Amino acid sequence: MHITKLRGAVCAAAILAMAPALAGAQELRIGVGSEASAADPHFHNIGTNNQLRRGIFEALIDTDEQQALRPLLAESWEAVDDTTWQFNLRDDVTFTDGSSFDAWDVIYTICRIPNVPESPSPFTTYTKAAIGFEVPDPHTLLVKTAEPYPLLPTEFATWGIISAKANGVNGEEIEFTPEDCGDIEYPTTQAFNDGSAAIGTGPFKLEAFRRGDSVTVVRNDDYWGEPAPWERVTYLPLTSDGPRVAALLAGDVDLIETPALQDLERLQNTDGIEVIEGISNRVIYIHLDSDRDETPMVTGTDENPLKDQRVREALSLAIDRQAIVDRIMQGVAVPAGELLPAGMFGAHAEGDYPAPTVDLERAQALLEEAGYGDGFGITLATPNDRYMNDAQVAQAVAQMWSRLGLETQVDASTATTFFSRRNNLEFSAYLAGWGSGTGEMSSPIKALTATYLPERGYGGANGGRYSNPELDDLLTRALATVDDAEREQMLREASEMAMEDVGVIPLHFEVTPWAMKSSIRYEPRVDQYTLPYHIHPAD
Amino acid sequence: MSEIAHRAAPPKAAEPRTDWTGPAIFGALILSGIVMIWGPQIASLPARIILLAAFILAGRRALGDKIGQYFSGPMAYFGTGFMLLFLALALFAPEIAPQNPYDLRQLDIMDGRLAPGATNFSETFTYRLGTDEQGRDILSAILYGLRVSLMVAVTATLIAMIIGIVVGIYAAWAGGRVDALLMRIVDLQLSFPTILVALMLMAAFGRGIDKIIIALIIVQWAYYARTVRGTALSEARKEYIDAAKGLGLPSWRILLGHLLPNCIPPLIVISTVQVANTIVIESSLSFLGVGVPITQPSLGLLIANGYGYMLSGQYWMSMFPGLALLGVVASINMVGDRLRDTLNPRLRK
Repeated sequence: MHITKLRGAVCAAAILAMAPALAGAQELRIGVGSEASAADPHFHNIGTNNQLRRGIFEALIDTDEQQALRPLLAESWEAVDDTTWQFNLRDDVTFTDGSSFDAWDVIYTICRIPNVPESPSPFTTYTKAAIGFEVPDPHTLLVKTAEPYPLLPTEFATWGIISAKANGVNGEEIEFTPEDCGDIEYPTTQAFNDGSAAIGTGPFKLEAFRRGDSVTVVRNDDYWGEPAPWERVTYLPLTSDGPRVAALLAGDVDLIETPALQDLERLQNTDGIEVIEGISNRVIYIHLDSDRDETPMVTGTDENPLKDQRVREALSLAIDRQAIVDRIMQGVAVPAGELLPAGMFGAHAEGDYPAPTVDLERAQALLEEAGYGDGFGITLATPNDRYMNDAQVAQAVAQMWSRLGLETQVDASTATTFFSRRNNLEFSAYLAGWGSGTGEMSSPIKALTATYLPERGYGGANGGRYSNPELDDLLTRALATVDDAEREQMLREASEMAMEDVGVIPLHFEVTPWAMKSSIRYEPRVDQYTLPYHIHPAD
Repeated sequence: MSEIAHRAAPPKAAEPRTDWTGPAIFGALILSGIVMIWGPQIASLPARIILLAAFILAGRRALGDKIGQYFSGPMAYFGTGFMLLFLALALFAPEIAPQNPYDLRQLDIMDGRLAPGATNFSETFTYRLGTDEQGRDILSAILYGLRVSLMVAVTATLIAMIIGIVVGIYAAWAGGRVDALLMRIVDLQLSFPTILVALMLMAAFGRGIDKIIIALIIVQWAYYARTVRGTALSEARKEYIDAAKGLGLPSWRILLGHLLPNCIPPLIVISTVQVANTIVIESSLSFLGVGVPITQPSLGLLIANGYGYMLSGQYWMSMFPGLALLGVVASINMVGDRLRDTLNPRLRK
């Protein structure tokens, strides 16, 4: 009796011990910080959706951990002349419904992207440069642009391709014009969410998309490339920092995104848990109102002192970036001297353009030179729930500006309120962040420092209304330069120009942490994506 | 007691007796509100000492010969003692606190997240309760935070009470359609959850101490209006009011001189408990990030600031402000309980 009982217990224990090991090799559970809004690859251009999309729907071109381009569905690409890009497509790729992949699917996808109803943030920005196509053979695609357009491959790496045939469309019959593609059928967002239209070429297939609960994908056994390392992957939305860390510590999930900075030390000291960190493409910066004669949140002077370059430089020099990184960001950030981390396209090489070091004396001297030796009052606005420790960083900056002799206050509000107020130009100085979607310098330069010209897409996030015609001109030329080396040089110059004018004050680059069980490994990415295809069991 | 006095004698003779209770507390509360709003700028140290003394005397006067009944158990001594202690700490924060946590020049982020007992970088003083991530001394921040929390609560309660009294008495006196309309507005106001309305108002107003006071007044006046109307209705039917009418006194004199003083005792009880409630609402709003400005933290915001560090073991940022909040709210509630038992004859066993 005793022996049977004991044996039973031993067997049960053995099975219990083995079960997680077996499941661990096959199943991956990811605790994500925010939930994907749809399984539709073209519904919402946002990180959470894009990282899910990458496993299921592949793009023509892939980006690596540093956001450099590499072949995916297109084996190679080149600019055949100034306004034509040629993509050579793989001929061994099939969609999960069995239909084969060809150039018509790309055109069908481009036709669908403007036709997603109620899309909160469409991908049209990344397709509108294409004004015409030629398909000499099913696996060669020529894309025409109106002007020289060097960013086309970068932009074509951002959206996933869906199948024309699977959706009942004969691709060859599509008559493409930039305005519309004629009367053809497109799947609805709902059809992607319920799985009926979720047909891609990726290493995973969508199993279930359950809003508020979880998203599961399973391995695509017919994948053209190396098979995915996981039989099944579950994304669990754990939006609060505490519970997400607790879920990892309890073993409920294998990997979590962005654990809170204050919990990193504890995670690092826990056996069986690894923390990895990688610099991101997101810069945290301060914009100053450098345009208006009267500015709303400066007191103690009738003029707008921020119009004076010397004042802006003084404000930048008063900030001890290293202290913010060490104390507020707890080392999980890198001080920034420009708007993109060293080593990325258009940024200076490591050490060539370092962050300014704090120099209160020089800052004080600059203020006096500009006639503001007695200081003035300024309010620094910040969101309090958008970036890592955003309101705390703003308070630290306020501390440093106070030391310079400015009466500094902090106005913190939630992101939605903050950004609508920012767009109404209610601020004189505000803290915000910019992630470079394309991974090159043209993105922050165009959005943050180019003159505000909505019709050209310039200065979209330039809430300080900084303007330098020379810089605009240089940017315009860079955006039309197809030669990579030449373009990179121009972007570096544009960046230097903006930094010398102090059109925007860069503070630091965020570093993205991931925490995971020691049994798996992952390479940090600048785009902050968590891609299960690249998560591997540790050997 | 006062009611009987009113009924027995002509109203004028009763006035000195009734008028002292409410107005004395009123005066002290209004004064403390004013001093707390403008703080040390207008109130020198002696002024604040006089204020505290006046507050204690007014309280003593309000209780009158019921003082023995009030101090009938250890809870009363405990609650009153702590409430006065917290009040004194808030009033004299600038003198007691080693640092002014609202002056950014005095903070140093290099002193951030130090454990209790650590000294600052230049070794001029010790952070007895540690620091938060901005290098703010938690002890000083609690003292100043107490000041903000009490100031907001007292001011909002007072103004809400005044609005409530005006609306309530007017409704009871006017009766008919005016009464019905005003009370439906009160019903409507009371049917919304307090914190939700306050959150929406703060989202619309933005941050700031003045704005949070306005939001708290809007969500609170209806309680007083309802209570005052109830009391006033029952008082208005009593003989002393008829007597006053019979003497041919103008309405305003009857309202202010006779009806109002007799509606005050229940209000004192409600407002004491309501001050504690208001502190809790203000702390909740600040905790949720819509209350006071982040550079001038109240207790709720201090708790919120330290909340993220709980898992990592840096407990002092949240725990000490939390204890202070607990203490101040509990002591005010104890005092409110005792006041209710003492001043409300209907509850007397």
